Amino acid sequence: MMLIIEAILLAGLISIATAIIFGRDLMVSVVIYCAFSFITMFLYIIMGAPDVAFTEAVIGVISTVFFIIILRSVKRDAKRRGEK
Amino acid sequence: MRKALTVLLLTAAITLPFMFFDILPDIGDPASAPNSHVSDYYIEHAIDECNSPNMVTAVIVDYRAFDTMFETTVMFLAGVAVILILAYHPKRRLIVPSRFRRFDARTGEPMYNTVNKDVMVSIIQALILIYAIYVLFHGEVSLGGGFQAGALIGMTYLLDVMVCRREVPLFRLGKFKAAGTAGLGPFIYAVTGLLPFIGGGLYLQYSKLPFPVHEAELHSIGITIVEIGVTIGVAGTIIAIINALRERIAFDDEL
Repeated sequence: MMLIIEAILLAGLISIATAIIFGRDLMVSVVIYCAFSFITMFLYIIMGAPDVAFTEAVIGVISTVFFIIILRSVKRDAKRRGEK
Repeated sequence: MRKALTVLLLTAAITLPFMFFDILPDIGDPASAPNSHVSDYYIEHAIDECNSPNMVTAVIVDYRAFDTMFETTVMFLAGVAVILILAYHPKRRLIVPSRFRRFDARTGEPMYNTVNKDVMVSIIQALILIYAIYVLFHGEVSLGGGFQAGALIGMTYLLDVMVCRREVPLFRLGKFKAAGTAGLGPFIYAVTGLLPFIGGGLYLQYSKLPFPVHEAELHSIGITIVEIGVTIGVAGTIIAIINALRERIAFDDEL
């Protein structure tokens, strides 16, 4: 049972990573990146490392906010950037 | 020529690590060196020697204390680097929160004003701070420790900066003061390491701390002081990075 959950989570990680790389809008990528760290947190718990999972949860949120602060101030869409 | 060199170097960088995989022990191999010597020692002796039921904390702050000290220093350097790169902006003063607030396009009213954000955030902040202190002082018993507590305190400041627009913030730290706070963490750590010299011990040898308590208790005290240092360092670093980012909030728009 645990193995199945782990497999699902890992598959989710791979698909999310692909979505982050190929996303057009950087803001969407950043928000999905938050989900990436959330799934990683579950994986850490399954692997028996709740300490690391705790750190991942906190740092995942903070780094997402950092990215968003940055993105609010740069042009984030590749298409719009080309026009201007 | 240059391309060929790049390809060559990349190929070397990718293939060389694979050649040494055979030397490394298999993951989870019970006969490998780390699993047969070090881990067993930690599992058997951590509670007696360090008086710390949470083995992770015992390993990080007691057995591997020297390692962790420079880890916090790296954190401090990261904060300083961000300040140096981002916050160098001679003519611009602090531009903040009004940019984070959205206004309705038709009426010009501020949006999301159904809930009083300031009140809500104050409650959440108080809870997070209490939790941070709990995590800090319970680090040796349960989950957590200095790094997590510091990150939680940094998160409180983040909430204050991002959501609220109050006259008097919860606590005010300029970028250089925040960097100084971040440096205070490794400093506390290093000074704690020096204290055992008074009792005739080695650097970071908690059992020789100059306090009149039992030896196991001394380990607890040492771990707690070091964790407080780590907390201050991490919180200072996060706040410094936030402040640096806020100063450079307009990157492309005005250039």
